[in-house]
Amino acid sequence: MVENTIRKFRWFWPWQDEQEEAWLRSMSQKGWHLLSVGLAGIYRFQAGEPCDYIYRLDYQIHKKKDQQDYLQLFSDAGWEHIGDMSDWHYFRKEAKEGEVPEIFTDVESKVAKYKRVLIYLFFFAVIIIAFWHNVWFDYPYSWWFVTRAIYLLLIASLVYSIIRLLLRIRHLRRI
Amino acid sequence: MVRDDTSKYLPLTESTYYIMLTLVEPLHGYAVMQKVEEISKGTVKVGPGTLYGAFTALEKEKLIVKVKEENRRKSYVLTPKGKRVLINQINRLEIMTRNGLSVKNLYD
Repeated sequence: MVENTIRKFRWFWPWQDEQEEAWLRSMSQKGWHLLSVGLAGIYRFQAGEPCDYIYRLDYQIHKKKDQQDYLQLFSDAGWEHIGDMSDWHYFRKEAKEGEVPEIFTDVESKVAKYKRVLIYLFFFAVIIIAFWHNVWFDYPYSWWFVTRAIYLLLIASLVYSIIRLLLRIRHLRRI
Repeated sequence: MVRDDTSKYLPLTESTYYIMLTLVEPLHGYAVMQKVEEISKGTVKVGPGTLYGAFTALEKEKLIVKVKEENRRKSYVLTPKGKRVLINQINRLEIMTRNGLSVKNLYD
């Protein structure tokens, strides 16, 4: 364990990426800079001088060999890659002279990002629904209500996420 | 207006238009970003997320093609199909500009 680091757990839904970015920025302004991201919303921060780091998230499912030129492009543009968590990539760049840098500079590319998330969630939902019979009937004895409850919660959260992302896209297109 | 296989790509977004304009010669990503900002006199900035998405989409549609990969940087250039799309977009913009100028003259 590195000195002067803290761990924080925080859950964000896929449509809350801008809230997440704002939270990471506020951490840096307090002198806690994102060091790494782990599975299931575990963030590690390192103590340092407070500064105005802007954090931006992209969603990309890459094959390993395709990732290098992707990261190179961001690095050339001055963005530091902190890590990735379930295909969400975390980048940061310092704000200079009050100018907030962006990785997405138009509405269409922001919408395209949410569409990539949507496609993933949609396939995930299809796969899970395809197995409903196994979940519903194959778990024996007294645990059946637990598996069924978890299953229903999972489907509900997937459907809810899909709806919220669609609303997010509609909102972006309206601006 | 003549409709051909390029019409489904039109109109291009402002970013895509400028990205394609710079790709009349082979360039890698960062060079595209710099050149877009330069030739648009700072009115258009292309972030790396937007550019990566545009490269992926344009390559998939065979409007640009990878010509070189060096130090993890891919260089692209317009294909003949990409050039046709770009020319058609420029024609559209010419009409737009002429219409705009005739209105602007009324106000001058």
